Amino acid sequence: MRNLIAFLRRFQIFLVFAILQVIALSFYFSFFYYPRSQYLTTTATVNAKIWEARNAVTKQLKLSHTNTELQKSNAELMKKLPQSFMRIDEDLVKINDTVYRQQYEYISAEVINSTVEKRNNYFTINVGSIHGVERGLGVISDNGVVGVVHRCSEHYSIVKSVLTENINISVVIEDMGLYGLLKWDGLDPRRGSVAGISNDLHIKKWSKVVTREGTGIFPKGIMVGKVEKLKNVEGEAFWDVSILFSEDYRKLQRVYVVKNLLATEQQKLEQLIPQDPKE
Amino acid sequence: MRIILIHSIRFVLFVLLQALVFNQLEVGLGIHPMVYPLFIMLLPFNTNPVLLLVLAFGMGLSIDVLSNTGGLHASSLLAFALFRPLIFKAFSPRDGYDPTKEGSIYEMGQRWFLYSFGTLLLIHHLWFFFMEVFKFSELLYVARKLLFTLPVSYLLVILLQFLFLKRNKS
Repeated sequence: MRNLIAFLRRFQIFLVFAILQVIALSFYFSFFYYPRSQYLTTTATVNAKIWEARNAVTKQLKLSHTNTELQKSNAELMKKLPQSFMRIDEDLVKINDTVYRQQYEYISAEVINSTVEKRNNYFTINVGSIHGVERGLGVISDNGVVGVVHRCSEHYSIVKSVLTENINISVVIEDMGLYGLLKWDGLDPRRGSVAGISNDLHIKKWSKVVTREGTGIFPKGIMVGKVEKLKNVEGEAFWDVSILFSEDYRKLQRVYVVKNLLATEQQKLEQLIPQDPKE
Repeated sequence: MRIILIHSIRFVLFVLLQALVFNQLEVGLGIHPMVYPLFIMLLPFNTNPVLLLVLAFGMGLSIDVLSNTGGLHASSLLAFALFRPLIFKAFSPRDGYDPTKEGSIYEMGQRWFLYSFGTLLLIHHLWFFFMEVFKFSELLYVARKLLFTLPVSYLLVILLQFLFLKRNKS
């Protein structure tokens, strides 16, 4: 017994270090891999209040930039108003239109905290579950995709941004219709890459990269970026396609959370696909 | 009593400075300056190592909570605090440390500060970036971040001391 106490006293410092280290690392890894825990993040209310106060100051600095962006998207929307269409054929009368049905809803939000320098970057936005945000919804801005909602509290949510290692958004190179997955190498917040495109295909430089409707998270054709460079991956039959993001994530301010009204329908249907027993 | 007050104020200031200013900076090249280890560095020489660890944990966790990093800062600052007594012993002056002094660049001299703080900061940054990536396959990424960030952090720490610490005329 005395030996034990002597031993503990001798290694006291290291023991304390080990215990605290285990606590710290378990917080860290549970944050990454089990996004169910709510504590210790910027979604906690008190904490988010600090960021909101900070954002109230710093957003003034980006005001003119934000304004131009808003104006641009306003102009885009005004084009689509019925008033801006001219009636060509006077004989036709429009009856209640049942051909189209609304599939996507947008919840506008403001980024109150963001990083772009880490390996995995998360943005905090000021809408939460009471506004109808859920885990797994897509987030876009006026210029392009932003990310996917990682977790949310009542009034705030954390967005797993495009600038993370395993974002894997399904994208398509527009003119050629080639599918790939979006990746980020962790170095430059302006550039990402698209993986999984076979290198026997020719890709034109500066062709647009947009989202694919596939998973139902993003609407079709949301801008992601433009193809900047093609590189051969050593020993593999794929291109490493480097793209320039259309959104500058360093000055991101206003975003929209995309809610797919038909998502559950699609998921239910896709559950019926028989699983391959070999896999 | 006065010393406790000074260090508590520094604790709060360093947490806010790191979380609200330096974690928000976007310098480019993957630079992510971290200055809060200076707080642990400036604690009195005769601080109990266990207290050192507890303070490091508390400080790291406060920064983590404010910047969505889980326990990353806490983990790396703990490594810093663990190694502090060992490094201090290794670079100890001939007559030992004067407990009334603190480990700043003014009181201990540039050479001592470069060696001891440089080594500790290297340990801290290495731990931080490695834990952030947590893959051996991305060692190059860790090395690159380390290469760019370490000098920036070090220079910022020196600058902070020039700006905010009282110069001792002795």
